[in-house]
Amino acid sequence: MKGHLQEIDELVDEWVPEPLAAPLTPREQADLAAIPVIIGPTGPKPKLASGKTVVNLATYNFTGLAGNETIKERVIDTVRKYGLGSCGPPGFYGTQDVHIQLEQDIADFLGTEASIIYAQAFSTISSVIPAFCKRGDIIVADRGVNFAIQKGLQISRCTIRWFDHNDMKSLEQVLQSTEKEWRKKKGPLTRRFIVTEGVFDHDGAMSDLPKLVELKLKYKYRLILDESVSFGSVGRTGRGLTELYNVPASQVDMLVGSLANGLTACGGFCAGSHIVVNHQRINGTAFVFSAAMPPSLAVAASEGINILRSTPSILSTLQDNVRAVRAVLDKVDCITIPSHPASPMIHLNVRLPSPTHLLPVASPSLASSSGKPSNPLSVHPRDPEVFDVELEERLLQDIVEEALVQGVMLTRSKRLRGQELTEVRPSIRLNLTAALTRKDCEKAAAVIKAAFIKVVSKRK
Amino acid sequence: MAIKSASPTPSIFKKKSYPAMNTAASYLSAVSEADARARAHGGTPNSTPALSLSSSVTTSSEDTVLHEIFTTVHTEFGHCGNEDYRYTSHYNPAHPVKGVTEQDPPYYILLTTYISYILVIIFGHIRDFFGKRFKHSSYRHLLAHDGYAALNSDFDSFYTRRLKLRIDDCFSHPVTGVPGRTIVLLDRYSPNYNKTFLPTGTRTRAMNLSSYNYLGFAQGKGACTEAVVESVNRYGVSACGSRLEGGTLDLHMQAESLVARFIGMEDALISSMGFATNSTIIPALVSKGCLVISDELNHASIRFGVRLSGANVRVFKHNDMQALESLLREVISQGQPKTHRPWKKILLIVEGLYSMEGTLVALPQIIELKKKYKFYLFIDEAHSIGALGPHGRGVCDYYGINPRSVDILMGTFTKSFGAAGGYISGNKVLVDRLRVYGHTGPYAEAMSPPILTQIIASMASIMGITLPEKSSSSRSLIRNTEGPIPGVEYEQYPGKAPVSALPPWMLTPSTMVDGSEGLTRLRRLAFNTRYLNRGLRKLGFITYGHDDSPIVPLLLFNPGKMAVFSRLMRTRATPIVIVVVAYPATPLVTSRVRFCLSASHTKEDIDTLLAACDEIGDLLDLKQAAGERWPLHEIITRAVELVNMEEVP
Ligand SMILES: Cc1ncc(COP(=O)(O)O)c(C=O)c1O
Repeated sequence: MKGHLQEIDELVDEWVPEPLAAPLTPREQADLAAIPVIIGPTGPKPKLASGKTVVNLATYNFTGLAGNETIKERVIDTVRKYGLGSCGPPGFYGTQDVHIQLEQDIADFLGTEASIIYAQAFSTISSVIPAFCKRGDIIVADRGVNFAIQKGLQISRCTIRWFDHNDMKSLEQVLQSTEKEWRKKKGPLTRRFIVTEGVFDHDGAMSDLPKLVELKLKYKYRLILDESVSFGSVGRTGRGLTELYNVPASQVDMLVGSLANGLTACGGFCAGSHIVVNHQRINGTAFVFSAAMPPSLAVAASEGINILRSTPSILSTLQDNVRAVRAVLDKVDCITIPSHPASPMIHLNVRLPSPTHLLPVASPSLASSSGKPSNPLSVHPRDPEVFDVELEERLLQDIVEEALVQGVMLTRSKRLRGQELTEVRPSIRLNLTAALTRKDCEKAAAVIKAAFIKVVSKRK
Repeated sequence: MAIKSASPTPSIFKKKSYPAMNTAASYLSAVSEADARARAHGGTPNSTPALSLSSSVTTSSEDTVLHEIFTTVHTEFGHCGNEDYRYTSHYNPAHPVKGVTEQDPPYYILLTTYISYILVIIFGHIRDFFGKRFKHSSYRHLLAHDGYAALNSDFDSFYTRRLKLRIDDCFSHPVTGVPGRTIVLLDRYSPNYNKTFLPTGTRTRAMNLSSYNYLGFAQGKGACTEAVVESVNRYGVSACGSRLEGGTLDLHMQAESLVARFIGMEDALISSMGFATNSTIIPALVSKGCLVISDELNHASIRFGVRLSGANVRVFKHNDMQALESLLREVISQGQPKTHRPWKKILLIVEGLYSMEGTLVALPQIIELKKKYKFYLFIDEAHSIGALGPHGRGVCDYYGINPRSVDILMGTFTKSFGAAGGYISGNKVLVDRLRVYGHTGPYAEAMSPPILTQIIASMASIMGITLPEKSSSSRSLIRNTEGPIPGVEYEQYPGKAPVSALPPWMLTPSTMVDGSEGLTRLRRLAFNTRYLNRGLRKLGFITYGHDDSPIVPLLLFNPGKMAVFSRLMRTRATPIVIVVVAYPATPLVTSRVRFCLSASHTKEDIDTLLAACDEIGDLLDLKQAAGERWPLHEIITRAVELVNMEEVP
């Protein structure tokens, strides 16, 4: 016995843990140092620490509500009446009348029975998914879903089947094969969900919502749709995909969106039926175990909805700007744009002319339909895109810096490489805004075009 | 059975909303009138009564004005002029912190508790059985229909439907206004046994013992609010993106450096949600091949983050240092499961102050173990930061331990600072890595400017501010200087905030500069905390937790008593709102009520609370603790003595 104790002591003495955190590599450090710091308010033309005023195509301000005077006024009123923090989770006296109002406003705006708000957009869907999807349930998900959804899927521990990115044919095949599999096993009826995005964070592609709804009804799945990008940015008044395609929002079982992106407030929401919403009030982890959103920011979001509702010109200005920028960038040789023409989030990939291993890449849906379908059990498609991450990221960073010199603030899409389930093609992500004029946008697009051409040609 | 379905007992204590003061001038004149009145009545009052004033019938118009002063100012933060009602939160090594000191209630209480659960469960199942057959429509969501499986299985939701529903009037009660010393409830009733609630349209102002407002920074007035208002004017409400993608403002940098200074660490990062601080950053700390050792009562956000990280997890008994040590010996000697390779890292995650138990982490012992077993230490200070220690710097400050002997100090701004979001602090290498590898940096929205300002202002008022030698003129000059400024001690801990660390436009009143405002808050909270903890015990209640914990759980055991306790408190002449918690947040038999104290409460508020508990405690047969008891009036008159005793016999 004594010998045993001694042995343990020796093992304890011998054990040498790895350092808690390895220092960043020089590249990572340089990237971190290159992140712009805005002095004063952000908006369409913020001032940077360098003293320079730039055109901002990096951050989310689709509707141009950042800095809106009406919102500011209402927020200040609310701060004077409510203070800043809510000082408690919603279950314990943290639910204030303004939260209830915001939930009602979102539901009315979208046309659902109810909605529930979370304090951070990123943490919304990763709680919504596991609130409903449990071990043994089936989720059919798009291969290109964003990181927050990936985390929700991971927590849920469901059986997951993957369909090719934004490919409705592939989705139907997977639904069929899953059905067959289930029949063969003669298992009990389980909950089944389709999880995908409205406008994809990874590349700006847009889902075909009517088709999604048709398939989910046909195969009796529930649809969880992440509209974090599309809410407040597409549709006539910014209601998102349901408005754009004229699909009643009640057809989407759980419609998740961001109040931070579309309304420049903070937090996220899930809209749906009373049952769906009330279930989350007890089972949505990030809802139950976190303080309610500051009341003044809830008011900011409510006021944002108000403004969108009464000012359809915001969204038409935004679309004009999108068209203006696309008109310039669509025809540039060294740029590929995977984004939908109506998406105000525009991803720009570099297209390199020569080396054969980096051929201009066909869209993934083409690649998969050419051969056999991908394996639905694996997140990786059958014919994945081939690209050189390191090279492209370096070029894109050079382009970002070149554009900044010319007075346009851009950003690469920052990805946790190695943690994302699939390798995402490096891109520069433009977020257009209704707060800029068409002229500003055209000028900025010209700067971007010149920067791409300059950096890519220098490389040759 | 004690569980009764909620009847809409309308509060006898109704309040209309009062029109706001129109102008600053009328406000000022009202204040001076109030002063004159007080002088006329001889002497200034020591403190403001919580609610008796507002319930009294007003006779003259001046009284109405007076009334408004009290309802608008002191409803948020009570006035307490008596310097005896202060205490300094600190550790006394002569009385080491024990783990949970569990006191078992008499046998019959346990028995009836179990019986009530069993009855509720049996009845619930019987109702489910018949309901599903005869009342199809209301069970639709629990049953498979049209080829869809039920959205939530009836097994999963049984607890919610059959137990929680009965006492749902105690949860998610809508409120309005500042969650300060008092809170305004929007009254509601349920026409259908708590399935849905409808507003009655009336409001009730109640004394607030439910909000996490330890230092009383939940305010719609005062220096912090003015700073927040100014920041909205200047910055608007959003940073419009994630930190790594263009959403970084100068305010983020200022707030992060101030937080690091406050905590006493080299660097800190801020995340826009407290929950997400854990759930999205722990995965960047540990991964496969690492082991997380976690206290069994750790918060859901920690468990969420650990699960995402892919690391192995082992759990030890709450705050039990012996269990921890033997677990450490086991895991280090055994290595990873199956392969028996040594662990890459071992991370111990504990909380500073446990929000359901009121227990304090046994930090001195953990630091000893850390030296021997070489694990890394992560402390979640969500509830302890600001609320503990002579300088409000959390558990390290409380125990007098150098914060840098802990690897990672995490905390939230939702509680003591009246803001939102959370931070992680540690050495610069670590924090920079988390900026890049945490999920927050690239994906989550950055914290919004008014929240950052609330954090900066409240922290500065706790810390006090070092002004440069030559005042205002050199202020802007100094802000532009890089590197240390001569005459300002940077590494001092716990030190003041240099004015250069604050936004130049922020107004800093003198009570903020000299730190007296913050200090008063800390000392009032510490007094209230010890007074209530000890007062309840002297009344004979079974409470959990440490005497210096501002969260005070009082044990009820029987689930039926939760609802009754909550309702009795809420419908008193001076309504009081409290939080009741039960399974699954606590073990099945230890349902409890939880008081969250605040610096905004006055001593008289605590007296009122003790009197209410005394009465209800007798009614519900709750006074089951062993030990010496004092009658209520003795507790109230000997409060100062009680608080200052080294240990209560
Ligand atoms: C220990 C602990 N960590 C984290 C959190 C989450 O903080 P927040 O409410 O700011 O999201 C809480 C809050 O309840 C907590 O108690």
